[in-house]
Parts: sequence; C-alpha cells; structure tokens
Amino acid sequence: MAEQMEQLRDVSRVVSTPEALAATEFPDDLLVLPLAPDERLVVGTTPFVVPDPHAIVVGDAGWSARWFDAADANAMLDSHCPWDPPRERPSFAQGMVAGLPVKLWQAEERTLVIVPHVFAVEFEERVRP
Amino acid sequence: MSGGSFEYDGRSVEFEAGDSVLIALQRADIHPTGGGTLCFGGDCANCVCTADGVSYVRACQTEAATVTDVTPHPAGGAPPLPPLDDHADPTQVEYLTTDVVVIGGGTSGTAAGAAAEAAGRRVLLFDAGEGAEVLGVYPGPMVVVRTPTGMVHVECERIVVATGAAEIQPVVPGSELTGLYTRHAADVLSRAGIDLGATAAVTADELGQFEGDADGRVAAVARPDGSRIECDSVIVDLGRTPRDALARMAGPGEATVVGQAASVEPTIPTCPSSGVICPCSNVTVGQLDDLYERGFTHMELLKRGSLAGTGTCQGGVCTPYLKSFLADRGGELQPAFTARPLARQVTLGEMAAGSHLPAAARTALDAVHRRLGAQMERIGGWWRPWTYGDTDAEYRAVRERVSIGDVSTLGKMIVTGRDAEAALQRLYPTDVSTIKPGRSRYVLLLDERGFVFDDGLIAREHDDTFFLTFTSGGASMAEMWIRDWTASWANDIRILNRTWSMGAINVTGPLARNLLADVGLIDPPSFMGHTVATVAGVECKVFRLGFTGELSFELHHDADHSEQLWQALTESGATYDLAPHGIDALFRLRLEKGHILVGQDTDYDSTPHRIQHGWAVNLKKPHDFIGRHAVERTAKIPVNRKLVGFEADQPFAFEGATAWRGDDYAGYLTSVAWSSALDKAVALGWLERLGDDFPDTVTVEGVEARVVAPNFYDPEGTRARG
Repeated sequence: MAEQMEQLRDVSRVVSTPEALAATEFPDDLLVLPLAPDERLVVGTTPFVVPDPHAIVVGDAGWSARWFDAADANAMLDSHCPWDPPRERPSFAQGMVAGLPVKLWQAEERTLVIVPHVFAVEFEERVRP
Repeated sequence: MSGGSFEYDGRSVEFEAGDSVLIALQRADIHPTGGGTLCFGGDCANCVCTADGVSYVRACQTEAATVTDVTPHPAGGAPPLPPLDDHADPTQVEYLTTDVVVIGGGTSGTAAGAAAEAAGRRVLLFDAGEGAEVLGVYPGPMVVVRTPTGMVHVECERIVVATGAAEIQPVVPGSELTGLYTRHAADVLSRAGIDLGATAAVTADELGQFEGDADGRVAAVARPDGSRIECDSVIVDLGRTPRDALARMAGPGEATVVGQAASVEPTIPTCPSSGVICPCSNVTVGQLDDLYERGFTHMELLKRGSLAGTGTCQGGVCTPYLKSFLADRGGELQPAFTARPLARQVTLGEMAAGSHLPAAARTALDAVHRRLGAQMERIGGWWRPWTYGDTDAEYRAVRERVSIGDVSTLGKMIVTGRDAEAALQRLYPTDVSTIKPGRSRYVLLLDERGFVFDDGLIAREHDDTFFLTFTSGGASMAEMWIRDWTASWANDIRILNRTWSMGAINVTGPLARNLLADVGLIDPPSFMGHTVATVAGVECKVFRLGFTGELSFELHHDADHSEQLWQALTESGATYDLAPHGIDALFRLRLEKGHILVGQDTDYDSTPHRIQHGWAVNLKKPHDFIGRHAVERTAKIPVNRKLVGFEADQPFAFEGATAWRGDDYAGYLTSVAWSSALDKAVALGWLERLGDDFPDTVTVEGVEARVVAPNFYDPEGTRARG
C-alpha cells in the first residue's frame, strides 16, 4: 500500500453517450468509475469497445492515487470531508475533500483516494496528520 | 488544596482543583470586568476576559487549570488584536453525521438522548459544562461545536435543545457595581466555599437600586419603599427566561426544546425608566425611547436601530428588557428577535477550521522548475515559474537562440461528434468551417453581450474532431460555458477537458526548428498548422504558433512524459545554449508582439472592436453565434475608448499608471515593459477619446508617450512565420 500519492497508471478516460456507455461491456478486471453520465475513468489495460463512433477514449495521465485502509480512510474523511461519503462498500463517490476535488473508490476493505495529479502535493500536505 | 495558579494582570492567582477561572478570581476578590452582576451561567458578558491571548473568553465557563495567562477585558472598547502568528497550528475540525444532536447534558438533555437511542437513533450529546460548547445551528441542520481539541461540525436530522433557563439580570441604578450575583451564581460560590459576607437577597419587587462604596462595590440595596439593606453582596432573584437561542437558529421543525428551556414561563421584568438595558452595546432606555418615537417599534427594528442584542452576550441580558420596553410602549408582548449563529465569540482559527484557500495547481514540471531554482508564483490558478533568476538572459535566449517554457497550464479540450462543427460555429465568432484539418486559428470567446471573456485556439484534427485551447486562468470558465451551451442546444458531441492530464512545452526562438530536428521532429508543421509526431520518444500534438513573436512550437503530450520531454530538450538544447524562460520573460516577449492577455489587458466590457480585434469576428459567416447581435449593435456606435500601444524613450512607471493629455484623463496602461530588442519602453493600455479624436501623445507619470499600433516587434511577422 502506497504511503503517499502516486501517479495512477494505465488509466483511460472515456466520453460517450450515456446509452453507449451503458451498453459497453467493460471486462471484469477493469475498475470503471462513473465520473459523469457521459464519462468513465477506467483503470486497467484490458481492451474494451465503446459502441459509439464518436467516443473519446484516451489514456489519461492526470491522476494520482493512494490506497488507505478502511479505518484510515474513515479517519481522514472525518477530518477533511465536509460531506458524508457513503460508508457501504463497494461504492464510489466524488466531491471536495480538504478543499480539493477527490474521487473515492471504497473497495471491500480499503479505499482508493484519487486526486487530480495537479493537486497531489497539495492534498498530501493538507491531509498530513 | 491548591490546583495551581495562573497569571492575572501581572499577579499570580491560585486556584483549587475543579475551579473555573471566575471562581479562582472571586477567591482573590477580583471581578474580571470591574463590575456587573455575575451569573455563572454563560449568559452575560460580565466575566469575559482574555485567556492565553484569546479574547471574549467567559471566565465562568473556562476551567482554571487550562489557562496560564489571563488579562482583564478593557472597561471600554474591544481588547487588542493578538499578534500575528504565522506558525500557529490550524484549528482541527471533525465532520460527523448523526440522527439526533442533544444540546445540554442536564437531566432533560440526558433523558432525551437516552430516549432517542432507545428508539434506535444515533445520538450525539454536547454539554458546555463538559467543554463542548455549541456555537451555532446552521441550515441543514448543521451544529457547530467548539471542543477542547477543535471544532466539530455535525450534520443531523433533529436537534434537542436542553439548555435550561437564564436568570434575569438587574437593570437599575448601580447595576455596574461589584458584589452582585444571581441566585445560581451565589449557589456556585457557596459550593466553592467562597464567603460573600453579609448578603442581601432581593426579588424584583424589593429592588429599587444598588448603592456602592468608594471602591465600586455594593454597600446597600435601596428598596422602592425607601428602606435600605446594608450588605457586602447582593443576591438578585428576578426570575428566569428560557435559554432558547440555539433552538431559534434552527429551521422550522428541526429543533425540539425540552426541560426548563421549554417549561420555564419567561419572566418579563418591569420596564426600567432609565439605565443601561444592553451592557454589551451600552444601549440605554433613553436611546430606545428615541428610536421608538422614530418608528422602531418592532423587536427586529429596535435591535437594528440600537444594536442591542448584537454584542458579546447576543441578547442574553437585554432580550427580556427589550420585550418589556416594547410591551410597555405598545401594549403587546413581542417574540424575541431572530437568532443567528454565532452564539459565542470565536477565533479566526476556529472560524476558518476546515476551510482552505483555493489550491494552485502544479504542472507535471513543477518539481523541475523548483530544482532549477525558479521563483514560483501563483498565476491564473497555477504555480508557475516567474523567473529562473535572470529574466534578461531568458528573454535573450528566446530572441537570439532557443528556449523552452512550460505552458502546460493552457486550457485544453477535445470536442468531437457529429455536431462538433455546428456547436463551435455557435460558440465562436470565427467561421469554423474554413479551418481545415491540420490547421488552427486564434479565436475569441464572447459572452452574450459581445464582451471578450477568453481567447485561445481552435485546431481541427479531423472533420468531426477539434482540439481547443484556452487561457490558463480561463479554462474552467470556458469549459462550463461550452458544456452549458452545447447541452442546451442538445448537440451530438463529446467533450473532454484535458487541461490537467496533458502537459505542453513551448519551444521558441530562431533555432527552435534546429533543436526539434535534433530530437526527432524532422517535418514540423507550417505556421498555424499542427500535427502529431514523436519528439524525443514522446508522442506529441505539435502546434506551430507565435505568442513570443519568434518561431514557436508547442508540444502537447501526456503529462506523465513531461519530465522526459523537458530533459531531452534541455540536453539537446545545450548545443544552442538553451535556457528555459519564465513567465516574466514570456509576458515581456508577448507584449513586444502586442499579444493581449485576456483579463489583464481586457476589461469586463471589452468588445472585439475596443481591443482592436474586430478581425477575429466574422460577421459575414451565415451562422448565429453567441454575442453576434451585441457585436453588430455596438459596431454601429463610435468607439469611445480602445486598447492601443504606447511607446516611450524612458521606462513606464507601472502597470495601471494613468495616462493624461494635459489636464484631461486619457486612459491607463495595462501592460508595460522595457524592450531590449527595440531599446524603448512599450505598453498596452486603454486610450480615451478626447473630443472628436483620440490623442496621439499622452503623459504617463511624467513620461511622454506616443500612441502607436501595438505590434511593436517584427510587425510583419516574418520571424514567427519564417
């Protein structure tokens, strides 16, 4: 488990119509996060096809991430998250944490905190105990 | 049994274990504010002090063992601001969510909390006596609490207010003396073993006025019938009023009041004929009378007119008397005025807990710039290298050899889809249909009023795919603008903002082509063209532009390759004595070229014609576009001020300096620089029409300036296009 933010590798950004995204069969080994009705953040390298000739599918080097134990994640969120993130697992949420735009993938026993790479240093500084 | 001591106004005050600061002061016969009834309930401002640098601390609710240095509150005015401490630890905040918040840990509050828990609700109970002081109730509801370890913000569904009742304070002549206590205060002091001497206990009917001795201490109570009771202290028992301000802060149906806060029948004291009703704001009965005569006949109006109830105790003392005053004058008992957070004074640190300044983004080259010793500045929402230490050398590298600059901060967006061209035709004032694949064009973004709010580039990649750029500071606004409009038009397009995920390096200078050839770009695009190519092993979108006025190529690439690309260019550039340039040099370079910075050189009402960018608006295109009607309308109106170039033989004083023509105001400068290449001062700025014409010379801070076309450097553009 990373002790600090690391650039998230093997990430794709997918933009298409909500219908096409719903029809896309993403392989099970991919982590697919719904950023918006027309947008997905996909972590993993297994190929997939979006049934939309105009879909944007690009590699995206713009994210940093760090895994937290569930307990550590909850403690961090209690101190820095002014909204109530979902506590059920697995779940996905996004919003401001420590005043920065953050995405939370709450896996079964741990939480992936994803931050735009341009704010990774700031995030580390703000949540440092 | 001594619990320790603290400093009070230069002397040591001992306290016993469990003492509050006020009890300790009373043991030493000290009244922290010099007079006034002490309530020991936190309802008045008569015991506020400055504890360890924090002002407006209620001595009755502060544990003595937690302070080391206490100073009295000044008799008049506010205490001095504490010295600035740049290294103070931020106040921590904890965000909690629960079903029920109970405020007050007495019998009623505890019972209410237990009942809610028994019903399966999650309950949090806060009791000021235990150090958890509720400061306010905000919409949500959200309850804000001050605790010994920091602030707590609690979102909840219901609030139970069990804060008890406050005792009425006396408003009669002599109320400012020492030795006056409420019944509750006397009980607290008795339990603490403090002897009040000969006491006189009086009710409202028995109280005429207090008489004092030469030291300002009460010596007797005068009854309304003229009789007197000589005493050392007075215990006043004037009735009680519900302590319900926190409940009144809550929205309709959000709070339940229990215990004495609900059951105590509010005492409405007799309206005094004179004296100070609101000690915090020093409001007298006479002042209230004056306001009432002028129409301030409602609680809310009287509060606003007099400021009664807006001071330290937030109406804890004066509210019953204000009710009494209005009932006496108008014959009607009015409800208390609106209660709003905060109920207690807070420090700036407590107020700011959990708040953050907007973060400045860092490009993927941020660490590189810092390693190079760059002076980093926040510009347009980003950390950017202002200079690497020698702006002149950076400037010369661009003009004479080759240089690289980090332009990753530019807004970048992909727009694709069947309706992409149609959408851009409506968004931009240029004819997008004439931009061929592989070509790009400088564009303005106009709002509905025809004012310029951003500029950038449209690059056509394929028939249905475009790459847009925006200014560094305007990218977020531009994205919202484009998304909102295209959503309302129901265009069949896909939009992706790539600003944070793509880096961009500008390779600029007369030897730029040579350097790029050395790192693998053999066939660079022509001016305003673009292509995809591998440069130093990194796949790049290569744009040929000319912001600096020299041969320039922007290499846009995935941000995780920025350092690799920068390093390769730096190493190969050593052959050409390459030096990176910062923003200071870049701004000077672009100013020599007369390129505007939207937001610096433009204003909120800058039309394309006023900034002399009418060429960027194509009114002949057969499409409507945002701002078209406004541009057509304003184009018929003579321009009364315009953005122009100024040049002078001496340096201009500063950006923002005013231009004069004789005694007439003639405009101001928006960007200034000394041009090494041209050996003269150059500037952009606004010029006013004076009479029928615009002046051709002005004076700026004593410097004679000529009004010229703003493209000072290489006006034919041969260097950038070459």
